[in-house]
Amino acid sequence: MSSGNATEQITPLEGAGIRSETAPAPSRHKLRLVPLLEVRQNVPETQRLACYAASLAVAAAISFALLALSGVAPSDVMREIATVAFSSPRALGSVLAQTAPLVMAGLATAIAFRSNFWNIGLEGQMILGAIFASVVAIYDVGPEPARLVLMAVAAMAGGMLWVSVPAMLKQRLGVSEVITTLLLNYVAFNLLLHLLYGPWKDPVSSFPHTEQYEAFERLPLLGWLNLTWTLPLAALLAGLLWWLLSYSRIGYLLDMTSSNREMARAVGVPVAGLTVAAILASGAVGGLTGFSIAAGVEFRMTQDFFAGYLFSGVLIAFLGRNHPAGVVIVAFFMAILLLVGQSLQIFFQVPSALVQLVQAIFIICVAASEFFLTYRMHWRAAT
Amino acid sequence: MKLLQKAAWLTALSALGLTQLTVGASAEFAAKGDPKPAVILFGESNDGGWSQSIDESRKKLESELNLRIPQAEKIPETATAIRPAAELFIDRGANIIIGSAFGYSDTFKELAEQYPETVFINPAGTTNGPNLKSIYGRTYESQYLCGMIAGGLTKSNKIGFVAANPFGLVNWTVNAYLLGARQVNPDAELSVVFTGAWADPVKERAAAEALIEQGVDVLGQHVDTPTVQVVAGEHDVYGTGHHRDLSEFSKATQCSSIWTWDRFLKPEIEKIAAGGFEKAPYGAFLSIKDGLIDVACCGEAVSDELKEKVMAERDAIIAGKHVFAGPLSDREGTVRVKEGEVLSDGDLWSMDWYVDGVSGQ
Repeated sequence: MSSGNATEQITPLEGAGIRSETAPAPSRHKLRLVPLLEVRQNVPETQRLACYAASLAVAAAISFALLALSGVAPSDVMREIATVAFSSPRALGSVLAQTAPLVMAGLATAIAFRSNFWNIGLEGQMILGAIFASVVAIYDVGPEPARLVLMAVAAMAGGMLWVSVPAMLKQRLGVSEVITTLLLNYVAFNLLLHLLYGPWKDPVSSFPHTEQYEAFERLPLLGWLNLTWTLPLAALLAGLLWWLLSYSRIGYLLDMTSSNREMARAVGVPVAGLTVAAILASGAVGGLTGFSIAAGVEFRMTQDFFAGYLFSGVLIAFLGRNHPAGVVIVAFFMAILLLVGQSLQIFFQVPSALVQLVQAIFIICVAASEFFLTYRMHWRAAT
Repeated sequence: MKLLQKAAWLTALSALGLTQLTVGASAEFAAKGDPKPAVILFGESNDGGWSQSIDESRKKLESELNLRIPQAEKIPETATAIRPAAELFIDRGANIIIGSAFGYSDTFKELAEQYPETVFINPAGTTNGPNLKSIYGRTYESQYLCGMIAGGLTKSNKIGFVAANPFGLVNWTVNAYLLGARQVNPDAELSVVFTGAWADPVKERAAAEALIEQGVDVLGQHVDTPTVQVVAGEHDVYGTGHHRDLSEFSKATQCSSIWTWDRFLKPEIEKIAAGGFEKAPYGAFLSIKDGLIDVACCGEAVSDELKEKVMAERDAIIAGKHVFAGPLSDREGTVRVKEGEVLSDGDLWSMDWYVDGVSGQ
C-alpha cells in the first residue's frame, strides 16, 4: 500500500486480502497483466443464464477429468445421469422424493435470508418441529382424522418457538443470530437424544427412535411414483411464498426493509413487525420440514432425520438467490447430483470422497459465477 | 400456461407409473440364479471400526466365494438415501442386499416386501420377514472376555469405558465388561462415559482423557473409532478395542472384541444360493459359537496365565455358559436375574440397568 504508486485502485477485493496490483518490480521489464474490477450496475437475464451455464460447463469439465483419472469414462457418467434421473418413473420418483424436503429446507432458509436474518438454525427448528409433531402422535392428541393437521400445526409452532429465542435476542439485545441459531441446534439435538434414549424409546425394539406413527399420522401416498404428500406440500409452500415474496404487498415491504431499514422506517413501513414475521415464518417452515421428513419419509422420529439439511438449505437458498423458484430448481438439481453420486459409487465403485469432491466442484463453480455477475473484470498492464 | 404444461407432463408420467405398479406381488421367497450380493455401508469403508469390519468381510467373501461384491459407502440412515441405493443394486442384478445399520430397518422392511425375490440381510437391524433377516452378535460375550483382560491388567482397580449411547446393546457390553473384569479381579470398578455419538473422535478423546485423569489405567470401548486406543497409547495405559482388532492403531490395545461377518455370511450366502434361506422371526442373534463375533487376543502385556484363563472362559461360553447368569442385581440392589436363571434375549435388548460397580453418568 505504501508503494506510492499513483495508479493504485481500490478494488472490492482488497479487504479480503487480495491485492489488485503486485508491488512494481522496476528491474524487470516484463509486461504483467493485473485485473481491475468494476461493479456491474445491472445484469441482463440472458447474461446471467449464460454465466451459470458456463460455470456448469467448467464444473463438468473438471469433474469429468477427475473421474476419468479414476477410470470412469465421461460417456459412462452421462449415461448414469440420464439413467438415474429420467430412465424410469421410479428413478424420477427417487429424485422427486429427494427434492421435496430439500425445497422446504431451502425455502425456510431463504425467507430468513430475505429479511437479513442469518438463520443457521434450520436443523434445530426441524428437530423441534418433529418433536412437537411427535407429541401429538405419541400422546394421541385430537381426533384421528385431524391428527395429521394437528401434527403439522404443532410442528410449525415448534419451529417458531425455537427461532423466536434468537429473534428476540437479536431485536432486543442485538445478539448475533448466526451464533445463537447455530448453538441452539446443539441444544435441540441433545433434547432429541434425551427423548429418544429416555421416555420416547421405541417400546417394541427398545431402540432409540420413537414408536412408528399410526397410518393416519403419516403423510399419505400420492398413488404416483411411490411419492407421499411431502411433494405437493413442498410445491404448495413454494407457490405460496413465491406469491407472498414477489407479488404481494408484504414481499414488497420486506424487500424495502432489507435493502434499507432506516429509509423503510422513515416512510412508515412496520419494519420490526415485518422482520419478526419473516423470521417466524422461516422457523415455521423449518418445523414443517422436520414434520414432513418424520411423517412422510421415516414414519417416526429417528436420531438423524435432520442431518445435512442445514448446509443443504443454506446452499440451496444461496444458489437460488433466495427466490422460491430458484430454490425449487436448485433443490431439484441437488437431488440429481446426490443420486448420480450414489450410482457412481455403486456401479463404478469410486470412493464416496470422490463423489463428494465432484459435488463440491459443481457447487463452488456455480457460487464462483456470482463473482463474474457482480463484477466486470478489466485486464490492464501493470506499470 | 406453464401450469398446464406441467399438468400434462405429470399425467404422462403417472401413466408410466401405473405400469410399474403391477410388478412385485408374488408370494414365497425363491432364490433366482447365482447369488449376487451387494453391500450398503452406513459409514466409510475405512472408518477403522464398524463399517470397515463389514467391508473387510466383504473382501474376504469376494475371494472365498469367487464373487464380485460391490459396495456403496456413507449411505445415511434415511429412507430417501437407502432406497435408491438398494434399488440401483437390484436393478443391475443384485439379489442379496447386505445393510449395516439399525436405521435401515424400516426401509429394508418396505424394500423386502416390494422385492420378494431379493434377500435382505441387515447387521444391527430390527426388522425381519420371509426374505429379510436382521443379524447381530452377542457382543457381551466378547466384551466379557476383554473385560477379563482389563481386570487382570489394572493396578489401580479403576477401569474406564467409553461408550456411544446408553441403550440395550451398548449397556450389555458395559455390564459384561465389568463382570469379566471381576471374574479375575473382584475389586475392579468401572467408570463409563457415554459420548452420545457412534463416531465422534473429538468427544471420544475428551472422554478417554477425562477417565485417565481420574486414575483409570485400562480403557475399554464401544464406539466406532479407534480414538480411545490411541489416547490410551499416548498416556501409557492399556486398552481394549471393539468392532475390529484395534492393535494396528495403538500398542496399548491388548484385546479386541471383533466381528467376523464372513464366517456367518459365507454359509448364509451358500444356503441362499441353494434355496435354503432360513427365516428368523426375531432375527439372528449370534454368539462366538455361531462365528459372528470373537476376540482378537492377546497383546504383549498379557501374561500366559491370564491368557489361559480368558481362553478357558471362551471355551466355557462356547460350551453354553451365559455371561448374565443369576444371581445378578443392579447397582440399586434390585434383583435382575434370579439364581439358576439367565437373562432372556428380550431383557438383553431392553437392558437399562447397570451391575454394581459401574459408575458414570
